[in-house]
Amino acid sequence: MMHSFSELVIGDVFVAPFISYAVTALAILLVFRPILRLCRFAKLFSHPAIAELSLYVTILGLLTVIF
Amino acid sequence: MTTAAIVRPISFAGAPLSAWAFGIRIWIAVVVALAASFWLQLDAPSTAAVTVAILAAPTRGPALDKAFYRFVATVIGVAAAIAITGLFTQASDLLLVAIAGWVGLCVYAAGLLDGNRAYAAVLSGYTVALVAVEQIDAPQNVFEAGVERGAAIVVGIAATALVNDLLAVSDSSPPLTLRLAALHRRVRDYAGLFLGHKAADAATAAGLLRDITALHPEMESLAPETAGGSARSAAARSAAVALVAQVYAARALNALSAAEERKEADPGEPSLLSSRAAWASREFRRRDAEVQEAIAALNASTRPRQPWRTPLYRSQRIAAAAGMRAAACFVLPSAFFVLAGWPTTDVSLSLVAVLIGLGATTPDPKGFTVFTFIAAPIVVALAGTLEFVILDGADKFELLALALAPFMIGATVLMTKSNQLLSSLGRVNLILVLDIFAPSNPPSYNAQTFLFISLFVCLASALLLTAQILLPTESIERRQRWIMASARRDFEHLLSRRDRRLAPEESMFRDAARIGQIMAGGTSPRDSAVQAEALSYFDRAAAIRLGRANLARLAATSLSHLAVEADKALAAQDTQRLLDLGNTLRDMGGAESAFAEEISGELALAAVVVDAASHSDATTTEPLS
Repeated sequence: MMHSFSELVIGDVFVAPFISYAVTALAILLVFRPILRLCRFAKLFSHPAIAELSLYVTILGLLTVIF
Repeated sequence: MTTAAIVRPISFAGAPLSAWAFGIRIWIAVVVALAASFWLQLDAPSTAAVTVAILAAPTRGPALDKAFYRFVATVIGVAAAIAITGLFTQASDLLLVAIAGWVGLCVYAAGLLDGNRAYAAVLSGYTVALVAVEQIDAPQNVFEAGVERGAAIVVGIAATALVNDLLAVSDSSPPLTLRLAALHRRVRDYAGLFLGHKAADAATAAGLLRDITALHPEMESLAPETAGGSARSAAARSAAVALVAQVYAARALNALSAAEERKEADPGEPSLLSSRAAWASREFRRRDAEVQEAIAALNASTRPRQPWRTPLYRSQRIAAAAGMRAAACFVLPSAFFVLAGWPTTDVSLSLVAVLIGLGATTPDPKGFTVFTFIAAPIVVALAGTLEFVILDGADKFELLALALAPFMIGATVLMTKSNQLLSSLGRVNLILVLDIFAPSNPPSYNAQTFLFISLFVCLASALLLTAQILLPTESIERRQRWIMASARRDFEHLLSRRDRRLAPEESMFRDAARIGQIMAGGTSPRDSAVQAEALSYFDRAAAIRLGRANLARLAATSLSHLAVEADKALAAQDTQRLLDLGNTLRDMGGAESAFAEEISGELALAAVVVDAASHSDATTTEPLS
């Protein structure tokens, strides 16, 4: 069965589903940031920036698959 | 005997390897942005590449911070463009006047901000010009043009962030920590001059305060860098505020030493001060420990024990004058183009707005225009070489990517040079080469378009320069007079009422930022006098604020009647009364004696500082005795 994506419409302007997912994933990551700081996320990795990027891609992928 | 080996960074062709790595990274990001824009079939792929060039920074934090402000400012600018076009769509002359007003308003806002926030303000201004002016003959396309521009900017931001993350670009906190530690050493050396009974120049203190407050944009840009970025940013801000407070503590020590020597010369004066010297030294050491703690918190990515804000001082009057001048500088070339009636001059006019905006974020807008006027032909020649000599009709993306390499890498390496002129030339080259060349899919290779755009880039800088010569900037002396007038006004307000919004240390930082502004315009013969006067206000305001903060604690005890009296003495700058009250408090017995002793020390120090600052003359050297 094909996975259907719902388009967001703001004032008659269509927004691509990927944009909605990308923005939502960014918002989720920003919400998680204080928790990541408390977990000392940066200390767990030699390159925390790449780890954060990977986390973003994971959230984005999950959003795309689930919704 | 030991020898210390100086490790020199490995360099290639006169630039360190890190500069070359930075250049290669920018080139990769430009290529990624262009590839994504072509794949998404965006109408303005060159905007994505230009975004990468604009966001080019050697560390991650400033690039992300600028990216955020670039996006927000584009949204504001496009919204303003739609509103302005909607209001004046039937009258293009009025539309130009409205855009001039908007550009002026944005330049005024930029004058009240610094760093990337100032950039965002001017970007909101010139986005209107880029969107509305370029569509002046087809206003129905303004929304689409705005969305295209926004999409291209998002692609550029994403390319920059992706390449920076994947290539493990270093964070900005280590270099900032080093700079704060270096400033800490300088503040200690400054205090050491007094302890060694040497005279210190007023310019040394003013220079220290300027250098500390100049870190403000970098401290702000730490926040988006990592998960612990906001904690680091707070720690850096606290370190900077504590450094300013330490400079004040050093100056208070100096004032106390001077008063001590006066007392030795006149044995008739009461012997109160010698017992306070130890207390003042303790105060200096307390500030020193605060700085160390904040720098340690910055290193550990933890929140500082004492979080302080860093309020910025900017002169409303200077900002308003710059805003009005910017609006007029946009109106004059607009009038010229309207009267000339040439076709396709909208590109040139929007470039005028870009130059006005970018110039407003530099200390010398006219100097920036002169520089662009000289650099424009060089950039045009380079863009022409890229388009018609190197590529010359090639339509493969791989060839475009390879051809861009020397221009992107070379310009970025030039940007890293310590020479300000070369560095600016590198930045202008990086941005304008992409802007003039404007890579597109399929490539156009239209010589006529290239010639028109090249001509309009040169014409825009020439016209703006003419307008700026006709509407000269106020002199440095006049700016300093305006800033000093605001310093006097703020000091009078301080005497008459209490500022409950800011902590004394935060207000000190704001005053230090004002001194930084006085020194920002350059040097003139009366600088030393102005600096001495500004430092006198800084010292007195800090003494009164710290004194009041301590008196607020005293007011909650049984000695509240003394607190009220001391508050009045502070407002009247009655130093003798302050010393008397300090004596009374020192001689207090009972359970609150230790607390009263502390407050008495603060009052005596405030009296000495206010006395020294009130009597400071306008000489360049502050005598120790």
